Amino acid sequence: MADQLLEQVRDLVDGQIDFEGQRLAEILATLLLSIVGAVSFLVGFFLQDISLALKIGLGGTALTFLVIVPPWPFFNQHPVKWLPVGGSSIPGGHQNIIIDEKTLVER
Amino acid sequence: MYNSLTRIQNVFGFFTTVAFVVGAIIAASDFTAPRTPSASIKPTNVQVVKGRPHYYSSKREEYAIIKFSLDADLSSLFTWNTKQLFVYVTAEWPAPPSGAADGTNQTNKAVIWDTIITSPSSDHLANIGPATLKKLRKSAAGKSIDPSRGKLSLKNQRPKYQITHPSGKVANTEDVTLHVHYNVQPWVGMLTWNQDVDFALWKQMARGISKVFQLPAIKKKDEAKGK
Repeated sequence: MADQLLEQVRDLVDGQIDFEGQRLAEILATLLLSIVGAVSFLVGFFLQDISLALKIGLGGTALTFLVIVPPWPFFNQHPVKWLPVGGSSIPGGHQNIIIDEKTLVER
Repeated sequence: MYNSLTRIQNVFGFFTTVAFVVGAIIAASDFTAPRTPSASIKPTNVQVVKGRPHYYSSKREEYAIIKFSLDADLSSLFTWNTKQLFVYVTAEWPAPPSGAADGTNQTNKAVIWDTIITSPSSDHLANIGPATLKKLRKSAAGKSIDPSRGKLSLKNQRPKYQITHPSGKVANTEDVTLHVHYNVQPWVGMLTWNQDVDFALWKQMARGISKVFQLPAIKKKDEAKGK
C-alpha cells in the first residue's frame, strides 16, 4: 500500500505530460514570461519606480513556474495511444526474425 | 518539456533571457531622460600648512587646505534607474613644462571633497545607522525618486582631504582651479561621468569650474603672513 502511494508521489514529482501538453507548456512559458517582462518595464518606467518593476518581474516569474512546472490535468488532455502488446492483431502476417544467421519463424 | 525537471530548466533559461533584455531596455531608457546639471563653486579659504603623511613618517610635506562654497543643481540626474550619485570636487593646476621634452601637457589633479547621494530606492545601502536611515526615508516622503536630493548648497565647506604634490611642495602654486564632477551609478547600465560635450538630451554641466586662484605661502604662526 505504501508502495502504491510512493509510486503516485514519484509520478507527480516526475511530472510527465503528453506531447500536446509539452507544446502548450512551451508556448505558455514563452508568452507568460514575455508579458511579465513587458509589464514590469512599462509599469516601472511610467511610475518611475524600479523596485516595483523588480517585484512585478520576480512575482510574475514565480507565477509562471507555478503554471508550467507541475503536471496539471490540462497538460494531459491528449494521452499517447499506444498499440496493444504482442502485435498479433495483424491477421496472416508473418514476421521473419533473423538472429545469428538462423531464421526463426514468428507464429 | 516532458517532465518537471526539464520544464524548470527551460522556464528558468528563458527567464534569464527576459531579465537581461528588460535590463538592457531599462538602461537604454536612460537616454530618453534629459540631463541638465549645473553648479557654481568658489574657494572661500585657502591655507598651506606643513605636515607629515602620517604620524610616524619622517617626511615633511606641504599640504593645501581649500575650503569652498558649492551650489549645485544635479536633480535631473536622478531617474528611476539611478542608484547613487557620486559628487566630487578636484583642485587642478597645470604642470610647468619641464626640460628638453617640452610640450608636457600635464595637469595636476587632486580630489579635495566627495559625497555619495543615494536615491530612495537604495537608502538601505547607505553607510548610515538605523536612526539616520529612518530620518532619510522620512525625508523622501514615500516617493520612489527624490530629485531634490540633487540640490546641493554648501557654505565654506571644510575639505575632506588635504592635498599635496609628489614633490612635497604646493606653496605659491599658480593657476589653481576647482572643478565639480559627478558620477551617476545606475541600477542597470553603464557608469557615466560629467561630460565634456553635449550628447542628445544629455547636456554638459553648466559652469562647474571655479575662477583661477593661487595657493598661498605656508601659513606662519603669526597671522600677519598667513592668507
